[in-house]
Parts: sequence; structure tokens; C-alpha cells
Amino acid sequence: MRCLFAIATLSMLSAAPAFAGRVAIEVVDAAGKPIPDAVVTLAPNPGTPARSGAAATHFVDQKDETFIPYVTALRVGDSVVFRNSDITRHHVYSFSALQKFEYMLAPGESSAPLVMNNPGNAAVGCNIHDHMLTYLYVTKDPEMAVTDAKGRASIDGLAAGGYKAHAWHPQLRPGITLPIQGVTVAEGAPATLRFVLALLPNPRGPMDREHIGY
Amino acid sequence: MTRCLAFLLALASLAPSFAAAQDVKVHAFADARLVDAPDDASFMQGGPGRTRYGDDARGVRFGAAGVVVTAQLTPALFALADVQVQRTDRDDWQVPEAYLRYRPLSLSAWRTSVKVGEYFLPISLENDGIGWTSPWTITPSAINSWVGEEIRGIGAELREEWRGESGTATFGGGLVRHNDVAGQALAARGWSFNDATLGLGGRLPEPDDEGGHERYAPFQSIGRRTGWYADGGWSSPRGFQVHVLRYDNRGNPTASRLYNDGNDHLYAWRTHFWSLGAQMETGPVTWIAQDMDGDTEACPPIQCFRYRFQSAFLLAGWNRGAWRPTLRYETFRTWRAGERGHALTAALNWRPLDWLRLSAEWLRVDATRAGRLDFGLGPRERGNQVQLLARMLY
Repeated sequence: MRCLFAIATLSMLSAAPAFAGRVAIEVVDAAGKPIPDAVVTLAPNPGTPARSGAAATHFVDQKDETFIPYVTALRVGDSVVFRNSDITRHHVYSFSALQKFEYMLAPGESSAPLVMNNPGNAAVGCNIHDHMLTYLYVTKDPEMAVTDAKGRASIDGLAAGGYKAHAWHPQLRPGITLPIQGVTVAEGAPATLRFVLALLPNPRGPMDREHIGY
Repeated sequence: MTRCLAFLLALASLAPSFAAAQDVKVHAFADARLVDAPDDASFMQGGPGRTRYGDDARGVRFGAAGVVVTAQLTPALFALADVQVQRTDRDDWQVPEAYLRYRPLSLSAWRTSVKVGEYFLPISLENDGIGWTSPWTITPSAINSWVGEEIRGIGAELREEWRGESGTATFGGGLVRHNDVAGQALAARGWSFNDATLGLGGRLPEPDDEGGHERYAPFQSIGRRTGWYADGGWSSPRGFQVHVLRYDNRGNPTASRLYNDGNDHLYAWRTHFWSLGAQMETGPVTWIAQDMDGDTEACPPIQCFRYRFQSAFLLAGWNRGAWRPTLRYETFRTWRAGERGHALTAALNWRPLDWLRLSAEWLRVDATRAGRLDFGLGPRERGNQVQLLARMLY
């Protein structure tokens, strides 16, 4: 009986997909310069198993009158909390079609979690400090990553199979069709994705002791 | 007395708001510069020269210092006061800006704001630095030198913004008073190249061929007329901006007031102009272009004096991190005054530290003006002004 149970367990394990694949991502501009804060998402092709995870809570901080990070990627159902780590108050808001909201945050205060129920993107600002800007990108794809300062990111623990990859950045031309690439993931051999994006200028103006921005 | 009492009462009523303000900030700047000036004595010293420094001066000069205090009184109500001491022919304390702005949050693409007080009109695309300084050059263009000297909104403004994915449109306008003297500098002296920004309490020196030192307050009411301005602008995510403004001070050109110790009449000038500006980015280079075209008229007894004025510039600034080389070319003229000229400015700005700006600037002016004959000089003026500036920022 014990032997039968062990055989049954082994056969179940061998039937379940192994999530051991990896995709290394690089996003650059036409000159090969790294692009940070680009979101890359992966949607499994039919037949490729998808991971499902619990909804997560993401934090967007406000420090030195700057939203950190500049771009936050979320899955549908995830929530975001805005935290004020400055010594001044902030009036965080968005009038995007994705989600309209406002939070008046005193120093040290955090907003209630805001659940993002639909895919899309939202520009978020501060009505007191107009130079502050951050973006939320909400995807229904199960896999996502945001590039670092070197324009790189990676997604680990993928099931072997085919995926469609999308790239998004807040400085892409409005209305542009998002670039798509196919990628095949195999266990033991990391796949690579390289996107070349053409970006508009950074909308965040220089803020320093010379530019006090009123 | 009644006005003074009302002012004190207004201040007293604002005091609790300031005390309760959660967001009060103090910014400051001060600069000193090493100057090598052109031959002609500057208008700042009563001479015919159009640059800030003249008379072949060489040496260290104090330029300006200022404190800008801001307070977010409520989430929607913002206050700013800018107090500066500017070196003209003496150290002048003045208030170039002091206003309240009400801008409630809007959860739509449209956002409205109202501003009341003393403020700069949205004309300059150069002067977005602390105390209305320019981060591109030490000396602003002829257009924005004049705006810094004589154009100010003292009144109220209504502004509407539309913020879309494809860009932001702004429409605004205001009613202003105490700007009746605007035009006096262009008529008496012509265009200048001067980074001394004036404000309430300041006095602008003017050329005097009899060796005197005449000065006048540029922001005062003569004839009690209310002027207006209206403007519109568009900025795209590509970094392109365009802005147009129409200004009319509706001054009464026959109205005057005694000044210069009661020895002369200072007339109101009926001044209107168009200002058109554009800015764009091509890679690391920022391009700014601006044009101003208008006329001004005063009518002392017997004869009216009407001057047309026009100036335009193109500036290119190369953004290389802490370094920012800048080149600007401009033309200017006033007619009836027989003034015509052009200028080239080359500046190298360096921000080695967050609190320090070092700039080197060479300004070359080549112009003619008939009024120079009154000083016993030929009509042609050619000169170079070189400055090495150290500006501390807080």
C-alpha cells in the first residue's frame, strides 16, 4: 500500500509543470543606452502553464519631493499604498481613466491600500508639488518585471514553453502599439529578451536649489 | 493711513495661517562676480550704455541676493514672497514677487487656479531659476531684461489648464494695475542687457546726459487705469512648448506724476505688445526662441511720443550634466528712437555642488541709437561685457 502511494505521488509530481525557466531582459534605446523603469510582461501561449500568485501590495514612497519608484508594475487585483517619508505633506492624486483617486498625506502617513481592478496605466502626481510624477502600470499578464538603472531585469521560475512579451514605458509616444516579442523558455537554458524603445523626453523637470519650481 | 491699517489687518489675519502652515520653506541666493565692462558708462550710472556694467570697470561686484519664502497654507492655497537686494547704482531692497495662489485639486483633465498679488507675467522661457534668474546665462535676453525691469502683474489672474496624454494646454489672463510706467525704459534708453530684477520698492536708473542720477519706481499707478493680459500655451510630451501673450497696460498717456525730487514729470506710457515664445529639445540640446513686438506712447503737452519696439532671440543650451554651455543670438530695435542692434552671448555654467553655480559669460553688443548724440557720442555702440559669477544657493 505504502509503495502504491509513493508511486502515485511520484507520478503526480512528474505530471506537474516544473517552474525552473528564466528570462533575462534588456531594454535599450536606439543608441544602445540602457532604459530604466521599463515594464516587461509575459503572457503564456496556449498550452504553456501559467503561475498564479496571491494579490500583492506595492508601496510608492515620497522622499525629497520625489515619488520612488518612478514606475510600479502591478497585476490586476494587486494594491498600491502611497507612503509619505517627507517632512512636508503631499496631495497625491490621479485623474486617469484607469482609476481616479486622491490622498492627502501628512508627513509619515500612508494611504489606504488602493486595489487596481483593471489593466491600464495611470499617471500619479502631487497637487502641491507639480514636479512630482509617478506611474502605475497594471497588467493582466501573470509575469512582469521592471528594468533597473542598467536597463536590465529578469523573471525566474517560469514554466517551459512559449510566451508573448510586451514592453511599456511612460515615455513611449502616446497611442503607440506596444512592442511585442515571442520568447521560448526552456529549463536549464535562460532565454533572453531585448527591446529597443524610442522614448520622449523625461517629463520630470530638474528640481534643485536653482529650480524651486513655483 | 487707512490703507496702512488695512494692510496691517490683512497681515495679522494671515499670521495664524502661516503659523499653522505645515509646509513653509525658505530658499535663498547670493552672488558675486568679477566684471570686465565695456567703455560706455552704464545706464545704471546714468550713462548711455545698455549693459549692466560700464565705464571700462574691472573688478569684483556684488550682483544680488534674495530670499524666497513659500508657504502651503492649505492644500489648495499657496503663498510666495521674494525679497531681494539688487545692486543698481546703490543697494536697493525690493519685492519682485509676492502672491497668493489658489489651486484646488481636480480629478479631471481640467484644473483651475487663481493668483492674486504681485507676480511675473508668463512671458519668459529663460528665467525659471530662483528669484527669476536664468539658469542659461547670467544676463537675460533684451526682452526678458525689460520684463524684469518694468513688466509685472499687480492684480489678479485666472488660469485654466487642460492636461491630456498628447500635451497640456493653458489659457490665462489677468487684470493688473500699477504698471503705467512700463515703456519708459524703452523710450528713454532703449533695450538693455541687465540681470538686475526690479520689484516693489526698487528704483530703475535711467540715462542722464546732464550727469544726474535719475531713478524712478517702475511699478506705480499714474492715471489709475487697469490693464490686462491674456495668454495661451501648449506643451507636448516631446518637449515642445509654445506660448503667446498679449499685454495692454491701458495707460493714460496724458497722465503724469512728478519725480526726481519734483523736477520732472514721469508720464504714463500706453504700452501694448505681443510676446511669442517656443522651446524644444533635440537630444541634450534645449532651444528657446522668443519674439516681442509692440508699441508705447506718452503724450506730454504739445506733442505725443510713440515708439515701436521689437526684439527676438534664439538660445541653444547644451545639457551636459553639471556643465551647461549656452549660446544666444538676438536682435532688437525701437523706431522713432533710431535704435537697431544685435547681441551675442556665450556662457559656460557649471554646478560643481548642489549649492554652488559658477558661470562665465561673454556678451557682445553692436548697436546704434540716435540718443547717444546727446552724450556727445557717435550713434554706434560696440562693446564686450565679460563676467565670472559665483552664485550660492540655499
